[in-house]
Amino acid sequence: MTTVFDKTQSRAKGIHIQNVGKMYYPPNGDPVEALKPVKLDIKPGEFLAVIGPSGCGKSTLLNIVAGFEQATAGSVLVDGVKVDKPDIDRGMVFQQYALFPWLNVRQNVEFGLKQLKVPEEQRAAIVKSFLELVGLQDFSEASTHSLSGGMKQRVALARVFCTNPSIILMDEPFGALDALTRSMLQQELLSIWQEYEKTVMLITHSVQEALVLANRIVVMTSRPGRIKLDMTVDLPYPRDSKSAEFRTLEAEILSELTDEIAKSYGCNPPSVTAD
Amino acid sequence: MAYLRHRLRGIGPYFIAGLSIIFVWQAVVELLHPSSAILPTPAATAETLWTLTKSGELITDIYASLSRVLSAWLLAAIIAIPLGLLQGTNRRFERVFEPVVELFRPISPLAWIPLAILWFGIGESGKIFVIFIATFFPILLNTVSGVKSIDPVMIRAGRILGCDTSLKLFIKVILPAAMPTILVGLRIAFGTGWAAIIAAELVAARDGLGFLISNGMEILRSDMVLAGMVVIGVLGVLIDSVFRVIGKKVNWGAQ
Repeated sequence: MTTVFDKTQSRAKGIHIQNVGKMYYPPNGDPVEALKPVKLDIKPGEFLAVIGPSGCGKSTLLNIVAGFEQATAGSVLVDGVKVDKPDIDRGMVFQQYALFPWLNVRQNVEFGLKQLKVPEEQRAAIVKSFLELVGLQDFSEASTHSLSGGMKQRVALARVFCTNPSIILMDEPFGALDALTRSMLQQELLSIWQEYEKTVMLITHSVQEALVLANRIVVMTSRPGRIKLDMTVDLPYPRDSKSAEFRTLEAEILSELTDEIAKSYGCNPPSVTAD
Repeated sequence: MAYLRHRLRGIGPYFIAGLSIIFVWQAVVELLHPSSAILPTPAATAETLWTLTKSGELITDIYASLSRVLSAWLLAAIIAIPLGLLQGTNRRFERVFEPVVELFRPISPLAWIPLAILWFGIGESGKIFVIFIATFFPILLNTVSGVKSIDPVMIRAGRILGCDTSLKLFIKVILPAAMPTILVGLRIAFGTGWAAIIAAELVAARDGLGFLISNGMEILRSDMVLAGMVVIGVLGVLIDSVFRVIGKKVNWGAQ
């Protein structure tokens, strides 16, 4: 890799989620509490995975951290500054890729750098190095709709990391991909994260994904969401999903999660196997 | 060779359709023996077309009609696209503007002809006004729906990738994302505008394909009427195909 990317500029930032809660007020109906006030401190450089049953408010929490939605209680601080709108310093990877179809692969990756007014020569070099990083150097002029889902998400990863944000937010980024592509992208994400030392907040419904990637895992309850389990994962990378330690942690998180899913349906916990 | 075959595949159905129409037309003439003033043969119509082409009259009429439709269509685009973008993005504006649009929309361009004459006289502007009415609404409505059907995740991606003002977001994300639908509106509008030239050229025209037809009717030359109709049909298809080619280039494969 060329050294166009100044790593010294990238200092991962911590996120302080201070009793952040969210109420929705539907125009005709009772207010809905999507998120009970959540308190969570994410340390700089931490890779946090948030797991919970669907509808537990984990995406709401992520959207509040991103600045897309406003909390109705509490606040999010990044480096002491209150979050009230999206900022390019907090990158986001969407499940639906969210590539711009009117731009080709290179132009998509370049988009954020252009907004940051990075000079053209430097921009081209950064884009090139990040396309190489995700293995898409031969597709720089390809249109995005000719790409597979895995390739699209690689473009999205390059697009987010190349602007050198201090925080990366991910909303079930690999949820729409097949198992093989997913595990390849997880490994690529891990190596990029280890190289660039970002704070990552990942929303997922896969316990295995959380355990493969994160060094801290938070399990949320069913709606209204609050934190049920907060666990540090000390296993060394790359993690072997067949190892005994991995299996033990997986079983522990799964049982917490199964209780919650059962509660959200109002029935007894079904038997759940790892996905 | 493959390119040629691809092209032919597009033209082929139109060629067959044209032949079938001529065949049925000829069969009707053979079976019913109408007087040539009521329904001339395809051959007689073709001859009239050729005469009109040779005399330069047809070219003048085509030019007159095309330039009217083109100016009205451009004018409508300049006004309707910004209004549509505003209506699609601004709830408050939409609440005021949409009922106004819905009240005017059912009124046919034909209904505007008397007012067009009163307001603009019998010159070019009255005709352009009538075609403008016909082209305005398809452009407006498609622009609105183009903006409204943008995937919200695109807007979010734009905002978090550094479009920190509404203007930036508008230029970098909203406009290109809505562009394929806006182009569909422009294409449909050119079609409705083209179809409205007869109405427009009822307003004291001295040239144009609409004039060719209404004049043909007055002097009982149904061959001229049919010649005008054929030209309108064929040109309509040609213009539409130009739009389709542009549309394919600008359709980002997302829709």
